[in-house]
Amino acid sequence: MAADLTAELEQLHAAAFGWALSCCGWDRTAAEDVLQASYLKLLDGRARFDGRSSFRTFVLGVIARTAREARRRSALRRWLPLASVVLGPEAEDGRPDPATALTRADDTTRLVRALERLSARQRQVLHLVFYEDLTIAEAAAVAGISLGTARTHYERGKAALRKLLEKEQE
Amino acid sequence: MIERDDHQLRKGFEALRREDAACTPPFEATAAAARARQATVPRHRALTLAAAAAVVAVVVVSIWRERDGVRLQIDLATVRWHAPTDFLLKLPGDELLRSVPQLGSRGLDRRTL
Repeated sequence: MAADLTAELEQLHAAAFGWALSCCGWDRTAAEDVLQASYLKLLDGRARFDGRSSFRTFVLGVIARTAREARRRSALRRWLPLASVVLGPEAEDGRPDPATALTRADDTTRLVRALERLSARQRQVLHLVFYEDLTIAEAAAVAGISLGTARTHYERGKAALRKLLEKEQE
Repeated sequence: MIERDDHQLRKGFEALRREDAACTPPFEATAAAARARQATVPRHRALTLAAAAAVVAVVVVSIWRERDGVRLQIDLATVRWHAPTDFLLKLPGDELLRSVPQLGSRGLDRRTL
């Protein structure tokens, strides 16, 4: 059972890391931290797959929730200095990792810069559809929003992204 | 036009995915780090639980003391405070204001008449 789960996670690992990067604003350290916390939830049974969606959608949903929790903890640490005693050390600083940014080609750097300027929801939906090859309905399930909202974010996000990329090229 | 644009976006995301895949940490390392965290997570959980238990204990003890009437006794007489300027409020004959004069008695003070 655990071996099956590990094998399935291994197959999804690259996609999961890409999604974690997107959820953490392309901060590699934060993405690794979120991915480890997500795997821990899956391996120790705190996040249990009940078969209501595909396993891929489920895993990406767990990563999205874990990234949200990490952001909340980070905000709490900023406001309550003593919270770090209970919550543990911080892994992310919310900025794109410079080493990762240096290895990117110009086109992808432009794409990442443009994505960063979209709203979080638009970025999530576009990433899930174009990067993870999910349908809009699956993207809605991962992001925890309704199908109609996901469609709106998809259309508006695409239009905004095109404009931003055109501006970047000028 | 839109389909062509979608195709370009898709190509951009594919390139991004390829670059991310090249810098993805090995699965074994991530899974091992996740398992290693299992040992540290209970410490944080224990600290949180201990803090919550301490708060609950304080609340329970205070409710219990309140219900059983075990209260801290304060002797008000010992804590009455006199201001250094109290003497300014003293009036000559102010004791007459605090006592009821007895009508018909001979010993009435002239000041009460």
